[in-house]
Order: sequence, then C-alpha cells, then structure tokens
Amino acid sequence: MRGIWHRDTVSWIIVAAMLPAAVAASLDLGLATMQRFGVALAVIGFWQGVFLFTRAQPLSPIALVTAIAVAILASGATEMWQIVLAASFGTVIGEQIFGGWGRNVVNAGVVTLAFLYFAFPEVLHSGTSPLVAVAAGLAALLLLVTGVLSWRIAVAAPVGLVLATLALGQDPAAPFLEGSLVLGLVFLIGDPVTSASTRMGRLAYGALAGALVAIFGWADAGIGAPQAVVFAALLASLFAPLLDAAAIAVATRKWRGGHG
Amino acid sequence: MRIDIRHGLPLPVAGALPEGGFIPTRVPKIGISGADYAGMRTELLVTEGQTVACGSPLFRDRKRPEITITAPSSGHIERIEIGPQRRLSLLTIIPEGEDAERFDLAAADTPAGLRALMQQAGLWPALRTRPFDRIPAPDAKPVAVFVTAIDTRPHAPDPVMALGGVEDDFARGVDALSLLTQGQVYVCQDDGPDLVETQDRISVVRFTGFHPAGLPGTHIARLHPATLNAPVWHINYQDAAALGHLLAHGTADFSRNISLAGPGMQQPRLLRVPMGADLHALSRPHLTPGPKRILSGSALDGREAQYLSRYHLQASAIDRVEPRDRNWFIAALSRASAPAAFIPTAAVDRTLGPDMPAVPLLRALSIGDAERAAQLGCLQLGEDDLALATYATGGETDFGAWLRAVLDTLEAA
Repeated sequence: MRGIWHRDTVSWIIVAAMLPAAVAASLDLGLATMQRFGVALAVIGFWQGVFLFTRAQPLSPIALVTAIAVAILASGATEMWQIVLAASFGTVIGEQIFGGWGRNVVNAGVVTLAFLYFAFPEVLHSGTSPLVAVAAGLAALLLLVTGVLSWRIAVAAPVGLVLATLALGQDPAAPFLEGSLVLGLVFLIGDPVTSASTRMGRLAYGALAGALVAIFGWADAGIGAPQAVVFAALLASLFAPLLDAAAIAVATRKWRGGHG
Repeated sequence: MRIDIRHGLPLPVAGALPEGGFIPTRVPKIGISGADYAGMRTELLVTEGQTVACGSPLFRDRKRPEITITAPSSGHIERIEIGPQRRLSLLTIIPEGEDAERFDLAAADTPAGLRALMQQAGLWPALRTRPFDRIPAPDAKPVAVFVTAIDTRPHAPDPVMALGGVEDDFARGVDALSLLTQGQVYVCQDDGPDLVETQDRISVVRFTGFHPAGLPGTHIARLHPATLNAPVWHINYQDAAALGHLLAHGTADFSRNISLAGPGMQQPRLLRVPMGADLHALSRPHLTPGPKRILSGSALDGREAQYLSRYHLQASAIDRVEPRDRNWFIAALSRASAPAAFIPTAAVDRTLGPDMPAVPLLRALSIGDAERAAQLGCLQLGEDDLALATYATGGETDFGAWLRAVLDTLEAA
C-alpha cells in the first residue's frame, strides 16, 4: 500500500495546480511568455540530462514548474541568452548539485530569478493581473486538499504579509490583487522542499516570508513587482533550517538528554 | 483522560468488516517464524516428530534461558528449519488433540511469581520494551506498561468486539500487569465504554483520530516517553486477555481473534484461529482471481508470510503487482543511483504522533544518523510506527527498516 505522495506524483500535482495560473499570465503578458517558458524548459531539461548521465539523478517534472515561474516572474524585456545563463545557474547551483529536487536548500526558480534581477538590473519587470492571483489562489486550494501545501504556511504567510503591511501604514488588501505576488507566495514560498519542515517552524517561516514580502514590496521594489516575493522566498528559505532547529528544540525537550 | 490525535491520515479502505462474531476455524498447520524473534539466539527444546501440548516449551533464548516460546496448540512438530547463524527460521506444527500444559498458579500474585509464570507459559514474549521494541529482559523493570486496546490500522478488528466474552480475563490481565511495574498501567482504548475500571495505578486513556492514533508509539510519546534508563513496555489487548485466562484457568490460550481482509479477498472475514495459523490455507478458498500476496498484518504495515505473526491481529490479501517490462531506455532513465528523495509535504508531517518532528526524524533515519534520530525521539518508536511514513512518501523508502538499523546501532552502543 503506497500513498500518492511519491516525488514524481507530487511534482505532477504541482504542475497541474500551476497550469491555470500559467494560462492566465500568458494572456496577460503575451507571446513572449511562451518563448521564455520554452527556453527555460529546454535549458533545465538539458542540465537534468547532464546530471542524469553523470550522476544518475532521474529526470523530474519539477522542471515545468521552474520554467513556468521563470516565464511569468521575469516578465520584462529579458534577452533569451540571459534566460539561458540564469536558468543554468539556477538549476545547477540551486538544485542539481544537491542531488535534485527534494534534496535542495533553495528553490531553483528563486535562484534563477534572483540571478536575473541582480545580474541584469536594467531590465524592468512588471506584475500580473488579479486574474493570475485568483488562479494561484485556486491552485493553493488544490495543493492544500492534496496534502502538498501546509496549511500552516498558507495561513501564516498572508497573516505576516497583512501585519507587516499595516505596520508600514499601507492598504492590507492591495497585495492580494497582485498576480505575481500571490503566485510567488503559493509556488515559491509554499514550496514544500525549501520551506521549514516542522509544525512550529512552518508557522514562523510563513510569517517571516509574508513580512519580508511586505517590507521588500512597500519599501523597495514596489508591491506589484515580482522582485519582492522572489527575494523574500530566497531569504526565508535560508532561514528555514534555523527556524526548524528552534522548533525541534522545543518539541523534543521531553526526551532530550536521554541519549546522545 | 481523552486525547484527540488531530494528526494522522485517513486511509482508503474498501469493504467493511462483517458484523457478528469471530468464527472459530481449524487450520491444517501452525508455523512459528524466526522473524518474530529477530535478535534471539534460539536453543531448541523439541525435535521433529515430537508430540507437544498447548503451552509446552518449543525453544528458548540461548542468552536468556528464562524466555521460552511455547506451542500455541497441541499437535506434533512437523518441521524445524534452521537459518543462518543457527537461528530458527521456521517451526511448523500439525495441530491435533486438545492437550494443554497446566501451570502452577500458587505464586502468581507476587511480582516474582508472575514473571516466572509468564516466562514458563510463553507469555513473556507478548511484552515488548521501548526503546528498541524487543522482548524485555527477564528481570527488567519498566516505569510504565501500555496495554494497547485500540487499533486504527485499515481493516483491523474492533478490540471491543474481539474482547467480547473475555472482558473478565482482560481486566484480570491488566490487574496482573500492574505487578510488573512500580508505575502506571495505561489502558489505551478508543472512545467507547471503559474496558477496565480506573484504579490507583491503572488509568484508562481514550484516543481518537486517524491512524496512527492507535499505535503504541503515539501513546508512549504522548503519555510517558521512554528513555534508555526508564524503559516502558507495551502489550496488545489479546495478549493481556490471554494473561487473564492463564491466571484464571492455569492453561495458556493462544487463540487470536483476527480479521482476514484486503482487496484480494472476496469478502473480509473475522476468524478465531491459533497464533501462527496458516494464512494460505485460511485465505485460499476466498480469494478473488489472480496472483495475490498474503500478508501477516495490515495492508499498511504487514509483511508477506505464510503464518500469522505473534504480534499481528489481522492478515491481508492484496494483489501481487509484477513489475512491468519497460522499454530499456525508459527504464534506464528512471533508475537512479539513490532512492528518490521524499518530498516533505503536509501529508508527511501528519504521519507520526503529535509530539514527533516527522520530517527531521525521517531525514535522520534515511541517512542512518543514529544520534540525531535518538534526539528526535526514535527511541519511542517501533517499525510499525513508521509504516504510515513509508505510505505517505510513496513507498520509495522503507523507513521501518532504516529505523531498525538505527535502533540496532543504538542498542549496540
């Protein structure tokens, strides 16, 4: 008897959840989105192939998720060679050298996008419409029902986002109308692999990520710009192991000292 | 006390168990498998062809000779198979007659007398100790004893029904168990009527919720975490009733009320059979067409075996899925150097009891990091407790086997 949560099945569930948002965003951003998606997918597929033959790491459909995230969140006039460079860096350094999806520390899409934003700051990226936000919200529901996304992150991240927005004296409803921001919240910050993995840790991680989105958005890039959510995801996933360690220390105090 | 386990996963189970009692069924053969007594160096006390009565000793532990395994039914020994390192691999008995050994109950109301009686009658192996989930040493002293009278595995028989008619034996058994410890005896049951009366050192604890709400690992981690210096013991409800029967009648009763279910059965069945019953013979007339695997235990955590294990109260028949012949190129692409990583989804987080950091523990187990796993609470767990984690990660890694390897390392240290 085996459940549905095998690595490959989980990645197909995430791909399925992402499709409506991908369609909505390509209506929004035009044909160039498909081009970016195709190039990113080809590059990631190439590197997965390289690691398949050199390190026997099986291919993973998560390449589709990374490629869609890159296509939507790098919405500016990015040159294709820039995508090639960034996607190579993101998938190799962010994912493959750790052993592939499931063993990585940071999300490959986040690394790719952070690379693009840092290396080519002259390219301006725009957000997407509320339609994408609705599609991403529905995706979050699907992921919650199938037990992929943790409800703790799904609750804590919006709470952190709203509280930090209020603290900065801004309109707390505004972030939820931004397509790119909600998409990033669901698929980059909610990525089960790179988020915290304990119960308390997930609450803290969600709140931290939400607050970082608000701070980066309102204070720097603009709440509609995709940079805010990408940098928040990058920083929060680096903090995730620390939050987990704290949560474990609290949860196991009952039998700590018994051994080791 | 009532504890609601809000974690756990609902498991898909097709077909309900039948109403009505457990049908007493004779079996053509009884098998005692060495796999139930892993780690024991066996010293045989019988030879092939010898006649035995129910309760007469079959073999004992070479290092701890007080621990004997006795015959679950009268009959004659058919075959004895010895495996590697001269350990017992299988012992089969052809049941015949109704002879039973009588045991002297004179000293059974003292702690030492009760221990000796249980060891003589072959009921001592019913107890298992956490940490390590092994048969306890003959002179060990637990700080608590857990009687597991709840079963949340798919298609498990209802303990209240299985104890129907032997409630007195069960209560007597629980009373006797309190002689083995200075601490509490916890009777963990579901949300039905109390199985025993709460007394000074006997507490009834109700657990509700999905699997693993009915596993001793969940109960122990919640109520009385086990440590190396303060081990706790657990015993299942049918063995507690068997102890009560022994104390009332002076004879050992090794009958089990089991369910035989699963997708491979035409209809789920409730049976009363001796421990070690031949599951192939029991299930064969009632299987659906096609190749099958017969498991001792549930579809979730059972192991393929012909004979009912000492520690299982159910058996399952599931379809045998042969690996498909795949195109060599596709097969090569999907074959990895290491098992696929597990994805720490929300479902994985719900697979261990509420006090366990599930994902960090599974990560520590999957790399065999014994020290870290011990810090994260693996000493509370047995192999059964991790079956749900294996299920929720798609069956890629058998975490039960990894746990056993880690526990062996810790035990040897």
